[in-house]
Formats: sequence, structure tokens, C-alpha cells
Amino acid sequence: MKQPDSEAPEPKTTPVPCNECGERPAEVRVTEVDKHGKSVERRLCAECARSRGITAQGAAKVAVAEVLLELKNKIKDVDRKLVCPNCRLTYADFQATTRLGCPECYNAFIERLLPVIKRIHGAVKHTGRAPAADRGTATRSFEVQRLRRELSAAIEAENYEQAAAVRDRIRKAGGEEAQ
Amino acid sequence: MFDKTLGRWLDATGPHADIVLSSRIRLARNVAGVNFPSRALPADQERVIDGVEGALQNLSIFAPDRFLRSKRLTPVQTGFLVERHLASLEFAAEGMSRAIFVGQDEMLSVMVNEEDHLRLQTISSGLDFGPALKEVQSLDEVLGAGLGYAFSGQYGFLTACPTNLGTGMRASVLIHLPGLALTREIEKILRGALQVGLAVRGLYGEGSETRGNLFQISNQVTLGKSEEEIVEVLTRIATDVVGFERKARDYLLEKLRLEIEDKVLRADAVLRAARVLTGDEATNLLGVLRLGVTTGLIPSPSTRLINELMILCRPANLQVYHDQELTPPERDAVRAELVRARLATA
Repeated sequence: MKQPDSEAPEPKTTPVPCNECGERPAEVRVTEVDKHGKSVERRLCAECARSRGITAQGAAKVAVAEVLLELKNKIKDVDRKLVCPNCRLTYADFQATTRLGCPECYNAFIERLLPVIKRIHGAVKHTGRAPAADRGTATRSFEVQRLRRELSAAIEAENYEQAAAVRDRIRKAGGEEAQ
Repeated sequence: MFDKTLGRWLDATGPHADIVLSSRIRLARNVAGVNFPSRALPADQERVIDGVEGALQNLSIFAPDRFLRSKRLTPVQTGFLVERHLASLEFAAEGMSRAIFVGQDEMLSVMVNEEDHLRLQTISSGLDFGPALKEVQSLDEVLGAGLGYAFSGQYGFLTACPTNLGTGMRASVLIHLPGLALTREIEKILRGALQVGLAVRGLYGEGSETRGNLFQISNQVTLGKSEEEIVEVLTRIATDVVGFERKARDYLLEKLRLEIEDKVLRADAVLRAARVLTGDEATNLLGVLRLGVTTGLIPSPSTRLINELMILCRPANLQVYHDQELTPPERDAVRAELVRARLATA
């Protein structure tokens, strides 16, 4: 576990190289525990810190619960007039319950939501997966994957008769298998 | 569904299963063009349930008797699902048409009309997200192609609460930390997890107490990171926590062996002898017993049996196991009897 020392900003005047990459200037101090159980202070640049899941101070994590609580406590009259055209939820309703009414609410409230999203996630752009478009392919690949696991289990159990049968089912399901 | 066989994730075969009970992934998804469950008309809620049932029907894992509609479930059966970590507390709340599909071995499940239209879940033993992530993503593709998800290129999967926006993914580990609790380092370690943006909760999620020194550590950020990155960070931090727990256990066995042995053997004796056991007492004593077995202080029972007893001792599971409704005092007696019987044959 690496713990950033929250109240210990790195002095800007004397740049120390990052202990990890040795190149970029260190910006974060972290306390790590070495293999002998002793705590060691290390200095990391923002990039190396981020790659280890450490947020640099300044971008200090606000507990999500705190962000949501703040929403509830800051309901104004204008929020009651901001309405989703699809489900008729008002922004004030969202603030009170912290639940949106429909996918369209994101469009209707986006200007108000963006700062909230930014505070919760530290980002406003999705970089993960997108949904699959084709049902047939998706079903086939789910079945093939499941059968592959069955195949390796059968091989591991040295049940070759079953393994051969599973392999045939994989071929039938459209998988490329398998020797 | 409501029988005595338990989920495979309890079998203690995964990596670091002596300390990490389970790795769980949950994906939040919604159907495009339909209001989120809390604002959907009853007919729309039913339509989503039917849609999920239809999409699952094409899969060989689908067993119709494991597709359960909340309106046909008794409160005890719903409690049973919550205690087995298949359904959430919110799922158990009344007033909406909900459903849950539970896959074979309780590894994969899909909750319908909880906070979001769909919550896909996978649980596996130990600290291991690899195969589980692939599997749940594969199921996700089938459901997404069948139902049509609410998705935006900019914000990802659109969820009822913006805290789940983006990947809609919550990955969590259920971790047993008696060593760190006894050495009083637990707070420091868990605070460290919070500082790297993870959330720490008790055994049954948000707002639940930490009993038996069982903790859940999960990601908070769901937007701006890929599914793989989220799992990677959580795995790395959980591995660190496991390392600290091992050190704490080594320290305890070296410096305080007598005290720990005493604690473990007393727990063992009480569990084997008690005629009345409350749920909390059973969970706490089983936690101590688990420490004893996983550190080799006592040879039996198996870690698997202890994991299973932790679930079987919960009120609703106890009632399903005994096939009758029981008052709390009756439960305490039945619980003690169950624990005694299972430990005697272990």
C-alpha cells in the first residue's frame, strides 16, 4: 500500500528526480512498506504515481458520498425549473435523490452534471468498452468461451472422451478450436 | 435454487483464498429508450424483465427455474439471495417488479430493475478477476445485443446514478483481515486504500457493519478508466493488503503465539459446544476460527467449510436450510446446532 502524505507538498524549487523512472521531477511523496515491514519514503512523478493508482495531491479525492451530500444541500429555485423533456424529472429531484430518471436526463442536465461527474471520477470521457452490436456473434462467442473453459477443465481432469465431445461442440458453435 | 448447495466462490480454491474470500465484478446497464427503474411505468419494468429473460433464453447456461421474479419471492427467499451476495439490499426493497437470474454454481447472476435495469455480476474464489471479467463481459455482449443498451460515446454506459457512469463497473474483493485488526493496523491500511480512490465497506455493502473482520474493498471511479485498468489497480492494492495481513499474522504468531492460540481454541470450543449462537457471535467466532485454520494453528475444519458456515448461519439461509420460518430465538438454537453438527463431521 502506498499512502500519499496529504499535507506534504514537494518543494518546487529543488526538483528531485522520480524514484521510479528517474527522469521526470518527483511531485508526490509516498510511504511504502518494504519486504522487511519497514516504512520507506519514496518520491514519484505524477505519471508514475498515477500508474500505481495514486492520485497526486491537489487532485485529492473527495469522498463520493460527500459530493452527493453537497448536491442535496444546494437545491435552488432554478433547479426546480430545469426539467428533463423525456421523463419530466427536475434537476432538483435529482439533487434530492441523486438518481436520474432516464438516459435522456444526461442530455437535459449535462451542464450541471459535468462538474459533479468530474469531481466523482476525475474525468469526463469514457475509455472503456462499448456494447456489442450483433446478437448472433455475441451469443456464439459467449458459448464458445464457456465451452473453452469446459474443455480445459476436462483436459485437466484427464477426461479425454468428454474433452473430445466438448471440442466438437466448440467447432459446431463456430469456434476455431482446437487441438 | 433455494437448496443447500452453496456458490462455488466459497470453495477457497482461488489465489490468496486464505485471506481473500472472493473477487466480484458488477456491471450496471440500462436499456435505451426506457426510463430508469425508479421512474419507469410498471409495464416498462415488466418489459425489461421479459427482455432479459428472452435474451438469456438463447444461452445454454439459462435454466428457467433460476429466473426468479420478485413478486413470487417470499421475504425469506429475497433475504437468502442478499445473504448469498447475489442480490443487493436495494433489490430486497418492495414496490417494484424485479427479477434475478442466477447462473450455475452461483458464479454469474443478473439482477433486473434494481437501481439500474440490469446489474450483471460474477463472483469467483480468491483474488482473481481475469476469467471472471471475460465471462461477465461476454454475457454483457449477449444482453447488450439483445436489449440495446443506453450508451454514449462520450460518457459510456448511462446509469441512474452518475457514480456508476462510464464502465458501470464495480469490482470488489471480500477480504478477511483479523491479523491487521489484532495488531491495530487495520485503520491505517484501510485509510491507505481510501487515499488511492478505493472504497472500503463491511460484509454486506454500503452501510453494513464489519463483522468477523471481513471487509469489502472496491473501486469508486468508473469513468475515464478501462475495465482492465480498474481491475488492475484493485488487484494491486488488494495484493498489498494481503501482504500486510500476512506480515501481521507472522508477527502475531511469533510474538503473541500463546494469546492467539488461546483465542482460536476458545472460539473452536465455543462453536463446538454452544447451544445458542446469535448471528453476530457466530460470524465473529468463525472469523477467529478462520484465522486459526489458515495460519495452521489448528488442522481443521477446512477454510471452505468456514466460508460456507458464514453464509449458512445468516438468518434467511438458516430458514431456507431448515425449510421453515424461525423466530430469532429459534434461529439462535438452530444455528448452534448446525454449526456443532458441521464441525463434528469436518
